[in-house]
Amino acid sequence: MISIENLTKRFDTAFAVEDVSLQVPEGGFLVLLGPSGCGKSTMLRMLAGLEAPSSGAIRFGGRLVADGRMSMPPEKRGAGLVFQSYALWPHMTVAGNVEWPLKVGRVHGRAALVAEALEMMGLGALAARYPSEISGGQQQRVALARMIAARPKYMLFDEPLSNLDATLRVEMRHEIARIHRMTGATAVYVTHDQTEAMTLASHVAVMRAGRVEQFGTPEDLLARPASAFVAGFVGTPPANLIPVRDGSWFARMPDAALRGATGHAMVRAEDMSLAEPGPRTVQAELVEAIPMVGRRLVTVRAEGMRLSVVAPAFGALPPTVHLMLPAAPAAIFDIEGRPV
Amino acid sequence: MFALPRGFGLTFGVLAILAVLVAAPLTTIVIDTLGSAAWREVLASNLSRNLTWLPLKNTMILGLATAVGSVLIGGFLAWLVVMTDVPFRRTLGVLATLPFMIPSFATALAWGSLFRNSRAGGSVGMLEGWGMSVPDWLAWGMVPTAFVLISQYFALAFTVVAASLASLNGDVVEAGQMAGASRRRIVFGIVLPMVTPALLAGGSLAFAAGVSNFAAPALLGLPVRMQTLSTRLFGMVEIGQTERGYILAMLLIVVSAVFLGAGNRLLAGRRSFATIGGKGARAKRMALGGARGPLCALALGLCFVTTVLPIILLVAASLAPQGSALFSNWTLHFWIGASDPGFARGQAGIFRNPQLMTALWMTLALGVGVAVVSVLIGLLAAVVLNGKRIPVLTEAVSQLAFLPMLLPGIAFGAAYIALYGAPIGPFPALYGTPWLLALALVAATLPFAVQTGRATVAQISGDVDEAARMTGAGFVRRLFAITLPLASKGMIAGALLAFVNVIGDLAIVVLLYTPQVPVLSVLSYRYASDGFHQFANAVTLLILLISVLATVLANALKGRGK
Repeated sequence: MISIENLTKRFDTAFAVEDVSLQVPEGGFLVLLGPSGCGKSTMLRMLAGLEAPSSGAIRFGGRLVADGRMSMPPEKRGAGLVFQSYALWPHMTVAGNVEWPLKVGRVHGRAALVAEALEMMGLGALAARYPSEISGGQQQRVALARMIAARPKYMLFDEPLSNLDATLRVEMRHEIARIHRMTGATAVYVTHDQTEAMTLASHVAVMRAGRVEQFGTPEDLLARPASAFVAGFVGTPPANLIPVRDGSWFARMPDAALRGATGHAMVRAEDMSLAEPGPRTVQAELVEAIPMVGRRLVTVRAEGMRLSVVAPAFGALPPTVHLMLPAAPAAIFDIEGRPV
Repeated sequence: MFALPRGFGLTFGVLAILAVLVAAPLTTIVIDTLGSAAWREVLASNLSRNLTWLPLKNTMILGLATAVGSVLIGGFLAWLVVMTDVPFRRTLGVLATLPFMIPSFATALAWGSLFRNSRAGGSVGMLEGWGMSVPDWLAWGMVPTAFVLISQYFALAFTVVAASLASLNGDVVEAGQMAGASRRRIVFGIVLPMVTPALLAGGSLAFAAGVSNFAAPALLGLPVRMQTLSTRLFGMVEIGQTERGYILAMLLIVVSAVFLGAGNRLLAGRRSFATIGGKGARAKRMALGGARGPLCALALGLCFVTTVLPIILLVAASLAPQGSALFSNWTLHFWIGASDPGFARGQAGIFRNPQLMTALWMTLALGVGVAVVSVLIGLLAAVVLNGKRIPVLTEAVSQLAFLPMLLPGIAFGAAYIALYGAPIGPFPALYGTPWLLALALVAATLPFAVQTGRATVAQISGDVDEAARMTGAGFVRRLFAITLPLASKGMIAGALLAFVNVIGDLAIVVLLYTPQVPVLSVLSYRYASDGFHQFANAVTLLILLISVLATVLANALKGRGK
C-alpha cells in the first residue's frame, strides 16, 4: 500500500506539489494524470526518493519512507523507476544494463534473474547488443527489464511511452499492464495521456497546478467528474463543456434543467444528436467526421466553439447541421468549475 | 545509350578540385621518393639517429605531454563548467576556448620574453633582467615547448569533453541512484565510462596537434638544437635535401594520422552515447561547498597563465626597449618609430616597414580569399555528400575532403612544394607567387569548410529544396534563391573561422613563403629568429587583434542565427 499525507514540495517559493493526500492499495495501479507542469513528475520523484518533500509524509506498506525531515534513499524503498528517456547506460550491453543494479545491490543468482527479465521482455537475442544498436521500442523494453529484474514491490513510471510512435505505444501499454499483473507490484504511473490513464489505472489522480483535482477510479472520473477541468480532460472524446448563463444554453436558450446556473454544462457526445431544426437545436458547421465503432464521431463548430456529437454511421452530412441538446446535462459546473 | 547518373557533373567537378588540391601533392611526395636513396639515409644509416629517431622521440614525448596535459586541464575545466556550481561558469567556458584564437607562436614568444636566458645569445627575458638565473631546461627545449603546446591545445580537450559531459543526461545518473549506487560508484561506474571515449579522443586530438606543431619547437627548441619531426623536416627542405624532407613529412603524417584517426573512431564507437535520443532531465549541478572558491581560483588561474598572461607579456614586450625590463621605458618605437641607427640596430617600427605593410595586405587578402573559396568549395562538397550517392565518386569526395585534417601543416607545405614548386607542363611554377600559399591554405581549411557546409546543408532539409524544384527552378537558380540565403549566416561564421585559421597559420606557409609574398606570421617568425623580439611581438599582436575581431564577429553572427 502507498499512502501519501499532506505531501507538499516547494522550490524556493513556488509550490510544485501542494497538500496532496491519497492512498493506493497493495497491487493497485495509480496513474498521476495532468497537463505538463502540474506537479505529477515531482510527485513521482518524491515517491522514488530522488526529491525530498518539504512537508507531509509518504508511507510504503505502513513504513514511513519520507517526510519533511527525512527522505529514505531510493534503494532502501524497494522501488524501481522507468525514465521517460529510458536512461540506459550506453557503455553497457543490454544484459549489462539489466545486471548492474543487481550488482550494486549484491544480489545473488544474478544470471538467472537477468535471463528471466530479458526473457520476459522478449530481449533474449539482444543481450549482447549496446543500447545504440537497438531500436527505440527495444530500448524501452530494456528499461522495463532493468526495473523488473530487481523484483521491486513498487514500480514507478515517468511518462514511459511518450517517446514511442503510436503503434508501439499501444503495444508497450499492454506490456506494462502484463508486467503489473504478473508481478503483483504496486505501480505509480505518470502521464498526460488520458487514454493511458483510463486503460491502465485502478486509481487515477488528476492533477492541476500542484493539487489533486480528483482522485478515484477511472469509472468515477467519467461518471462523476469533480470539476469542469476533469470533465474536459478525461474520456474519448472528452465531454463537451457548453457555456451557460442564468439558466440559458449559450446565454440565449433558457432551460429549466439548467437550474438557473452560470458556468458550464457537461454534455457527452453520445447525449447529443443531429436533428431537423427545432426549438432545442443549435445550428452548427460540420468540421469532420470519424467512423468509430459502427457509428460516426462528428466534430462541429457552433457558437464559436468546437463540439463533438455521435451520429449514425451512414447518411449524408450536409455542411450545416443542427444539434439537438439533451433533456438535461450530465453535470453543471459553476464559473469556478465546481459542480452545482 | 549510356546515361550518366544525375549529379554526376557536380560530383565529378568537386572531385577534380579535390584531386588538384589534396590528392596530387600527396601523391607527388610519394612518387618523388619512390626508390630514392634517401629512404635508407633517413631510416637506416649512421645519419638516421640524428636525422630521424631522436626527432621522432622528441616528437612523441611532446605529443604525449600535450595529450596528458591537455586532457588534465581541459577535462578539469570541462567538469567544473558543465557539472558543478562553480562561480563564473560562463566566463570560464569562454576563457577555456580562447586558445583557439591565439597563434601558438604568440605563447612561445611570451614564454621567451619571461624566461629567455643568455644561452642562445641576444637579449634576455624579464626574470634574468631581475637578476634571477634561469636554468636552460626552463628557458629552452622540452619543458617550455610542452607548456606552450598544452596551453594551446587544452582547448581541444575542453571542447570535446565538455560536449560529452553536457550530453550525459541527468536520468542516467539518477537511474544509478535508483539502483542504490554510491556517489563514488556512480562516478566510476557510469560517469567516467561514459566520458572515457571523449577523454581519449580529446587526448588523441591534442596528441596529433602537438606533434604537428611547428612554431613552438622552432622558437623554443631549435636554439638549443632540440629537433622534432616538424623542425627537422623544415630544416631539410630549407637546405635543399627535399627527398629526406618528404620522407620525414610522410613519417609525420603517419604519426599524426594514427592518433587523429583513433580519436575520431572513439567518438563514433558502438558505445557512443550521441546516438541515444530522448529528452532527459538536466543533471543536477554538483555542489562544491567549501571547495567552490579554491577550485574557481585554480581554474581562473590556469586560464590566466595559459592565455591572458602571455598576451599581457607580449604587449609589454612589444613596448619595452629592453627585454630584461618589460615594464619600464615603454616606447612605441617598435610599432611606429622611424629608423634610428642608435636604436634596435636601425630597424624601423613595424608600421614603417614596407614589407610589413605588404605582408599585412597579403595576409588579409589571403585570409579573405582563402576563406571565401574554401567555404564555397566546402558547400559544393556538402551538396555532393548530401545528395544521391554515386558509387566510388561520392566516397572519394568524402575521403579527400577530410584528409587534410590528418595532415600536419608543415608536411602539407612540403607536399605543395614538391608538386607546385616546379613547372608542370605548360603551367609555370607557382613557387614565389601568392597562388601557392592560397592553394595550400584552401586545401588545409577544407575539412573545416566541408563540416560547416554540411551543417548548413543539413539545416536546409531536402524538402525545402524539393519544394523549389517543384516550381521548376534549376540547380543554379535554387542555389542562389534558396540554398545560399538560408545558409549564408552559418557560412559567414564558418568563413570567419577559416580566416582566423589562415592568418594565424605558420606551419603551412613557412615552407611556401618567399620574400615576394610575405605574410605576417612568417614575418613574426623571421623577426624572432633574428633576435628582434619586440618586432616579432608587435606583429604577433597585430595577428592576434585581427583574429579576435574576426572571432567576435563570427560568434555574434552565430548567436543571432537560430
